[in-house]
Amino acid sequence: MPYLELRGIRKTYPGGVLANDDITLSVEQGEIHGLVGENGAGKSTLMKILYGMEQPDHGEILLAGRSLKIANPHAAIQLGIGMVHQHFQLVPNLTVAENIALGAEPRKGLFADQAAMHSRVRALSERFGLQVDPAARVSDLSVGLQQRVEILKMLYRDARLLILDEPSAVLTPQEVESLFSVLRRLVAEGCTAIFITHKLYEIMSICERATVLRRGRVVGSVRTAESSPAEISRLMVGHDVASPQRTPPNANPRDRLVVRALTTGSAHRSTPLDFTIRSGEILGVAGVEGNGQSELIEALLGVRTGVTGDIVLDGTSLSRLNARRRREKGLALIPEDRNREGLSRPMQVWENLASATYYRSARASVLDLGGLQGAARDLIRRFDIRVSSEKSAVSTLSGGNAQKVVIARELAESPAVLIAAQPTRGLDVGAAQFVHEQLLNLRREGVGILLISADLDELLALSDRLIVMFEGRILATFQRDAATRQALGLAMAGRLESEDAP
Amino acid sequence: MRALFTGALPRTVLTVLLALVMGGVIMQVSGKDALNAYQVLFNSAFGNERALANTLLAATPLIFTGLATLIAFRAGIFNVGVEGSLYVGAFTAAWVGFTFVDLPGVVLIALAFAAGGLVGGLWGLIPGYLKARLRVDEIVTTIMLNYVAIRFTDYLVTGPFFVPGMANAMSAEVTPQAQLPRLVERSQLNLSLVVALVVFLVVAFMLRRTTLGYEVKTIGSNPVFARWIGMPVSRTIMLVMSISGLIGGLAGAGQALGVNYRFVSGFSRGLGFDGIVIALLGRGSPVGVLLSALFLGALRNGASTMEMFTRIPRDLIDIVVALVIFFTAVEIGFNWLRRRRPTPDAVPPPGSAAEPEKEGVRGNA
Repeated sequence: MPYLELRGIRKTYPGGVLANDDITLSVEQGEIHGLVGENGAGKSTLMKILYGMEQPDHGEILLAGRSLKIANPHAAIQLGIGMVHQHFQLVPNLTVAENIALGAEPRKGLFADQAAMHSRVRALSERFGLQVDPAARVSDLSVGLQQRVEILKMLYRDARLLILDEPSAVLTPQEVESLFSVLRRLVAEGCTAIFITHKLYEIMSICERATVLRRGRVVGSVRTAESSPAEISRLMVGHDVASPQRTPPNANPRDRLVVRALTTGSAHRSTPLDFTIRSGEILGVAGVEGNGQSELIEALLGVRTGVTGDIVLDGTSLSRLNARRRREKGLALIPEDRNREGLSRPMQVWENLASATYYRSARASVLDLGGLQGAARDLIRRFDIRVSSEKSAVSTLSGGNAQKVVIARELAESPAVLIAAQPTRGLDVGAAQFVHEQLLNLRREGVGILLISADLDELLALSDRLIVMFEGRILATFQRDAATRQALGLAMAGRLESEDAP
Repeated sequence: MRALFTGALPRTVLTVLLALVMGGVIMQVSGKDALNAYQVLFNSAFGNERALANTLLAATPLIFTGLATLIAFRAGIFNVGVEGSLYVGAFTAAWVGFTFVDLPGVVLIALAFAAGGLVGGLWGLIPGYLKARLRVDEIVTTIMLNYVAIRFTDYLVTGPFFVPGMANAMSAEVTPQAQLPRLVERSQLNLSLVVALVVFLVVAFMLRRTTLGYEVKTIGSNPVFARWIGMPVSRTIMLVMSISGLIGGLAGAGQALGVNYRFVSGFSRGLGFDGIVIALLGRGSPVGVLLSALFLGALRNGASTMEMFTRIPRDLIDIVVALVIFFTAVEIGFNWLRRRRPTPDAVPPPGSAAEPEKEGVRGNA
């Protein structure tokens, strides 16, 4: 008898989006079960149903043979189901033990019993091999350790079934390895885990079985030992995936963007940054998020105060120019968070497409509505943005189409230098492929590209050179051929090649 | 845009109806004949030419202050300071009107309006500058500056511009050729309405067709994006606050030159704040503001006549107005809450199956 069984789960969101369609899934006791699929395939919805955050329209949940109705996350925890969210839910200025016990503290009179709390947390972390200091402040911990605290939080509440939602997204490759050994230990201690991811090599190395979702349906259930990454990827996407084709690098490169002694005034130890991007070159920036990448983008774009140093684009210094003037000199940006920094969602598609240039065609401050809307229609055609009209609101577009609006706007003006930050985040494989092709086209045309990404595969596939950012500085530089997952991972964790690996 | 309008209009009508019904229930409960009251109210607001003129008269300052508030709201600025601009604008216009007594009427009226608008605009620029350059919250500064404006103008007419022999704190009368011509007989309705309608056309055009309107809309919907795409955000905020104050100043000028013929301390009693109600009820559109101002004007005008002919105190109409505000606020509050919930990044075309990706889900452990 399977430990967990989901039978015929169906969920339609208001608005008619069918997120889960007749999903059946079984997980054995002591198994690490992979749940894979592209963004929007229905993984999160399914897990929210299991965790009581959403109610299914149809279907049945059986835990250890018992049919259950899970009303809310509290009920799920009572049943021994724990969820480790992608975005940690920790209180930064409390200690590890306080975070773990929060809401379920052992009491001594009116107060929390600190000693009992610490000893319980220590016992748990020893039993499961999750070393972390109970007295440490969460804000002082690395992301990998914070994740351990999240897992401990669930174990503290006697979770027997752990749901891990994209747990590797924020980790370095080494931290991923250590997460995997923790998971193996948990399973050995009798826990069961559901591991959500879209990274194939992780599935292959940690899961015995995996269920693949596509467009809300189960399209396959595979035993990893009998399958291959190619097969799983085919199931996920529905067709074979071509890897991007690179042309040889530019023979006579010239400097397009030169950054000298740039400090961003961030909280990090402000070590000046120096780098150069040449024509037809993609300079990749690797690094765990929050190591100064966002500050670098803001400094380059000119929306940050307290920046020193020099930024030179095609021989012109940008340092004293505002964002609009920098864009006029040929700087373009695909921002990290398109909904915050790259689009105005309530506004129409043409208004978003025109937002960088609207003022140029205005006469006596009156907008050239016809011209702007016509230009928008051209861009919609050229970039194949799937939208009924240029007057649709951006909020009605899918993530991929919204990103195309950003890209169309940024490429419309033939930039000299493009900053592409997380350009494929949240996009499905087809849309990501489109973005990669666009970047490679620009590279061929001699544009200098700064590619900032949390996705190592993307960086390794596209970059001519790579720099690794750690705590606000450039810790290492790799030529394309020398860059390996292993070497990058070490540098992302702040260790150089020569130092000993843990 | 059109979808917003067709969606907004029925909801606004519903809000107003709900308030009228609730008001009626309250009248019935307090032993009045609600149906009769509303009939009298309607007749007193629209029943004859004079009633209609008085409704328009009551609506005139509301059109100004509604538009003044609207333009700030559109840029995401919660300007509560139109009342203050109205006071400084009214005093300035009156001062021009009783000082430059030798100028011909047309010139004097134009000058008085211009000066009232200018001072009102400068008054609005103060919180605008503080917000744009120093990130000082505009709600606090505008509320406080209202008190400054009201008290300072009161000081002016009790101190430096004190007119001996007046019972109340008020300035000298403006010279006759500065008094705005009336539009109909037996009503105080005056040229100020025409100025208000011109301002309405200018604001509507500005918001729809100009670079400033486009910038206002972008900043109001996503200020971070506006800054990142290179829009002059600080400049626009200061400009918008100045324009908002300018229109508030014109409202004050219109009242001083067209109704009171002088500056009267404390004359407004919240016309600037009514602008907030009107901007909310008008749901961000200039046409909506125009209609809401008319509606509120009709209620105010009708209520004072109603009080004469029925035994229903005008306070009951104030309750209806309060209910309108209440329901509008509730509905806007709901929308705001709905928007605050994590929004799906991907809304796939109908028919395809996909989950809305929601981030930062709260509510466990």
